[in-house]
Amino acid sequence: MRYLAKMRGTTQSPPRVGPAEIFWSWLGSFLGIAAVAYLHYGMLADSDLLMIIGSFGASAVLIYGAVKSPLAQPRNLIGGHMLSAVIGVTAYQLLGSQLWLACAISVATAIAVMHATKTLHPPGGATALIAVTGSEKIHALGFLYVLAPVGAGVLIMLLIALLVNNIPKTRRYPEFWY
Amino acid sequence: MEEHSNQVCRAVDLTDRDIYEAMRDIPGYLDITPGDFREIYQVAFRKALERLQQPVAVADIMTRQVVSVGVDAAVVEVARVMAEHGVSGAPVVDKDERAVGVISEKDFLTLMGAGEHRNFMEVVAKCLSAKGCVAAPMKRQTAGDIMSAPAVTVEPDATTAEVLTILEQRNINRVPVVDRTGRLMGIVTRGDLLKASGRRGAP
Repeated sequence: MRYLAKMRGTTQSPPRVGPAEIFWSWLGSFLGIAAVAYLHYGMLADSDLLMIIGSFGASAVLIYGAVKSPLAQPRNLIGGHMLSAVIGVTAYQLLGSQLWLACAISVATAIAVMHATKTLHPPGGATALIAVTGSEKIHALGFLYVLAPVGAGVLIMLLIALLVNNIPKTRRYPEFWY
Repeated sequence: MEEHSNQVCRAVDLTDRDIYEAMRDIPGYLDITPGDFREIYQVAFRKALERLQQPVAVADIMTRQVVSVGVDAAVVEVARVMAEHGVSGAPVVDKDERAVGVISEKDFLTLMGAGEHRNFMEVVAKCLSAKGCVAAPMKRQTAGDIMSAPAVTVEPDATTAEVLTILEQRNINRVPVVDRTGRLMGIVTRGDLLKASGRRGAP
């Protein structure tokens, strides 16, 4: 019965943040996503390169919306995305004929490696998955995917996070670098 | 969570309400639940208690620059050294730096006519009752003649709790710290214990 009892939960949801926090979360994520999206659609539209992938939306939640979270720190943001990108591309290239297996292996391995390297960053799981499920354009990048869109994109978003999150008195970022 | 609780932790229990309110007062989104915080708090509290209850070795708190006197030193010289360094007692050492006794203000008071309580007011009372204040007999004596011997000593791995017991039972204020061969390494006074208790919790 202990097993089922655990499913009831033990505590309550944390309090709602104040309006200022909501405003700065909105502004930071607007600017961060605007930067990578503008590069993608405005400057690289006709090239084979990409600058934005879906997992950046998830990173924005953390680095602009939960700036104190260990999951949102630079070590996790950069390490989590880039390690997961390597794992995702490798999984696609080795197991591309069994896509369902490549998907599962890429995400599960990304989580394990992020844990082992203290770089756990939830959007990393999406970055690994996108390397497998992504468009022809993404598959064509090969391991370049690790540097762009992934590496370059997260560095731009990190820069915006450093600039915006340190403006309000009640916010600071990061808590730690490594 | 139950297994982390103990009597002491319960005594300082925080309510979920306290934690929730604190989380609301701290600006920004905290990526933990009130339950997480309570668990961290209880475990951390227990660890802090364990840390404070850790025995502290005498070697960590003793005074290493000891004012000591030779066993052959004239009493007047001993008095001068103690006065100069502002100490109320000092270990007496032989030629090999072995602690053979301790000399303190109490030993002087005894010589000056203090009775069983060995305190200064006894000497004053005696002086005023016209028998005369006689420090004179001390003049030809040496540290070895008037010291308390043998010295009550401890080794450097003794704990502060053990030293405290010795000080209380013997009604003394300091113990020399000596190595296996009895050689003087330092001294622990009541003051040292007090300082250490302020720094690291109760001895």
